[in-house]
Amino acid sequence: MALTTAPNPTPPARSSARTPAKARGSGRMRHGEGLAGYVFLSPWLIGLMAITAIPMLLSLYLSFTNYDILTDLSDVEWVGLANYERMFTADPSYWHSVQVTLSFALIAVPLKLAAALGVALLLNRAWRGVGLFRGLFYLPSLLGGSVALAIVWVSMFNRDGAFNSLLSLFGIEGKPWVNDPGWALETLMVLAIWQFGAPMVIFLAGLKQVPTELYEAASVDGAGRIRQFVSVTLPMLSPVIFFNLVLETINGFQGFTAAFVLSNGTGGPVDATLMYTLNLYITGFTELDMGYASAMAWVFLIAIALITALFFSTGRFWVHYSDGDGN
Amino acid sequence: MHPATSPTANAPAARGHRTLHRRSMLRRLTAAAVALPLLLGAAACGGEEEGADPDAKVELSIFWWGGEARAKLTEEALALYTAEHPNVTFKKTWQANQGYFDKLATLTAGGDAPDIFQIDDNYLTEYASRKTTLDLNKFKDDGKLDVSKFPESLWQYGVVDGKLSGVAFGENTQGLVYNKTLLQKNGLPEPTTGMTWEAFIAWAANVSKTAKIPGTQDPSADYKAFWVWLRQQGKDLYKGKELGFTAEDVTRWFELWKGARAQGATPTPDVIHEGNVTDITKQLVVTGKAGTSWVWANQLPELKKNTKDELGVIAYPGDPSAQWARASMYFSVFQKSKHADVAVDVINFLANDPEAGKILGTDRGLPSNLDVRKAVSESVTDPAMKLSIQVESELGAKFGPSPQVPLKGHSKIRAELIKAAEEVQYGRQDPAKSAAAFLEICKSAIA
Repeated sequence: MALTTAPNPTPPARSSARTPAKARGSGRMRHGEGLAGYVFLSPWLIGLMAITAIPMLLSLYLSFTNYDILTDLSDVEWVGLANYERMFTADPSYWHSVQVTLSFALIAVPLKLAAALGVALLLNRAWRGVGLFRGLFYLPSLLGGSVALAIVWVSMFNRDGAFNSLLSLFGIEGKPWVNDPGWALETLMVLAIWQFGAPMVIFLAGLKQVPTELYEAASVDGAGRIRQFVSVTLPMLSPVIFFNLVLETINGFQGFTAAFVLSNGTGGPVDATLMYTLNLYITGFTELDMGYASAMAWVFLIAIALITALFFSTGRFWVHYSDGDGN
Repeated sequence: MHPATSPTANAPAARGHRTLHRRSMLRRLTAAAVALPLLLGAAACGGEEEGADPDAKVELSIFWWGGEARAKLTEEALALYTAEHPNVTFKKTWQANQGYFDKLATLTAGGDAPDIFQIDDNYLTEYASRKTTLDLNKFKDDGKLDVSKFPESLWQYGVVDGKLSGVAFGENTQGLVYNKTLLQKNGLPEPTTGMTWEAFIAWAANVSKTAKIPGTQDPSADYKAFWVWLRQQGKDLYKGKELGFTAEDVTRWFELWKGARAQGATPTPDVIHEGNVTDITKQLVVTGKAGTSWVWANQLPELKKNTKDELGVIAYPGDPSAQWARASMYFSVFQKSKHADVAVDVINFLANDPEAGKILGTDRGLPSNLDVRKAVSESVTDPAMKLSIQVESELGAKFGPSPQVPLKGHSKIRAELIKAAEEVQYGRQDPAKSAAAFLEICKSAIA
């Protein structure tokens, strides 16, 4: 700030701090810059407070109340742990949604990562036109969690959708995939797996970082392709695998859009696609049980934090950080 | 930055002063961070106070669900009001039914609910019991809101716990819509009002066999069909603050349709599911996946827009006196509206003014005001609308008394009935077990 460059009697060293370059060494100048930093940050900081931090804390408070969204905040009743008690002891549909979400994440995430890694390995070569293929494989991810994509998915996997027409060419009679309680969630998993582009690009970047000397050394030692993959590629890639795993797991747990669109916001057929976040949404906004929904959101947040912490704590056993020289 | 911009920096005890300055800056920053949302909130809640001046400029917000056709009619009727009261303008918002109530709840939570909003009997009790809707009895009593031309049972269908919480805007009743063209092409008889449920199912099974299209949508997940059937058994959906039916009733209802599926009268479960969750434009009778759909009689014109086939409409099977004149929807006033007087006047205008009535037609159901209804039915030209009015008027002569407005938790019960019925349809649960589980959920939903 301007004031630090004003005449200053003590100490002598600081009185000479008139040029910005020297001023940066001064502690007081750092304070000044820090303040300036906060001022420049303020649009974001105010946004964080107003849009994220304050509402989050409020929702923590609401999770101990019977808030129903229509009542004034000043009229809500404190119910203690009743919402949490109900969640853990008296709400079968809650546990059903937990089960749906877990099976979605446990199946879709590993398969998605495997697909991403497999395709990345194939595309990590120098053929002509490989750039085009990289682009094509990445394309589905650009569409992200879009509503339009989910609508297309529903029409493709209907009883008379494109997928069943394809099957009928081979004489196979398809199922009403999206409208069958035994298959609706699987259809959503396929959609998630198909969007493997983002982790694939990260894998590709990781593969490029593996020093070629390692492969050369390995082949001199007589290692075949599989051995090279297991002993060189995987360990060298483990930080990237770790990164993708954490990110995709969190993404997988938060899946909402596709399930919402597929089931018209009901989680059907027969709760087959009742993902945790969808259940939360229905509880809060359709059934107006916002206090209970807030409690669900906090349990969800803690659960994801715990799972992420678990990944980090196991990471040191299998994630291999090198300094880039293969040491 | 330039030194001259900060005169305080010239003070002798610059160091201490600076720290102080920084602290107070930070404090002010924090204060600003806290205050800003409050200010924004206050601005949102603020708005000008209503003066005594009747010509003061007023902007009313109004929110409804519906399609484009409804939007056009409503905007036209509101423009007519503005033409007569140039000081009153409208901030109009509308959207499809799906997601409407999520949005309304969110707006209400933010203290920013529209002055006037459309609502139906699924949510009226939820909103009224939480003091979101203004009690309109006062306006009715001093003549500012005229419901004297409404059928008595119709305006009373807006009374929750003694408070007039919504003005019935349109009357409708359950209607079984069937595909006339399909029946004629196959030389099949049309269904008739008053058929027993068994006769109807046999008729539908015959349609399936001859026309190769399932005769009827399976309504076991449809609360309004279940409701009519219950009333024919001398039961009801609600009695006072309790449920009006038992698990055995639900079991018998599920068994009835399990039998129908066995006879081939209804589609496969996935097609039934499609009909259960999609909106009016994709009901099975218009997508050609079934011969009939279970809807509200006033929805016939909307259905007709989505098919080339001729459609007919009758009452649900069984004794038609189990059906009633239901308020298809209401207009309510937000309890904290700054312009409640004007808002009530607008609703009064939309409901009773002959010109506005002519514009709005039967889009929201038969007009509540009987004079307007008469004028509208005489001037209607759209054949589907004509038929819907004719059938509703015929049925009107046979109606029984209206049930009470559904309890809080009604929308949850509707959603749970779909799940319970689908468990049975997909063959994942037998009727009795599914019915028992459903009843438990219902009990906790209305508690």
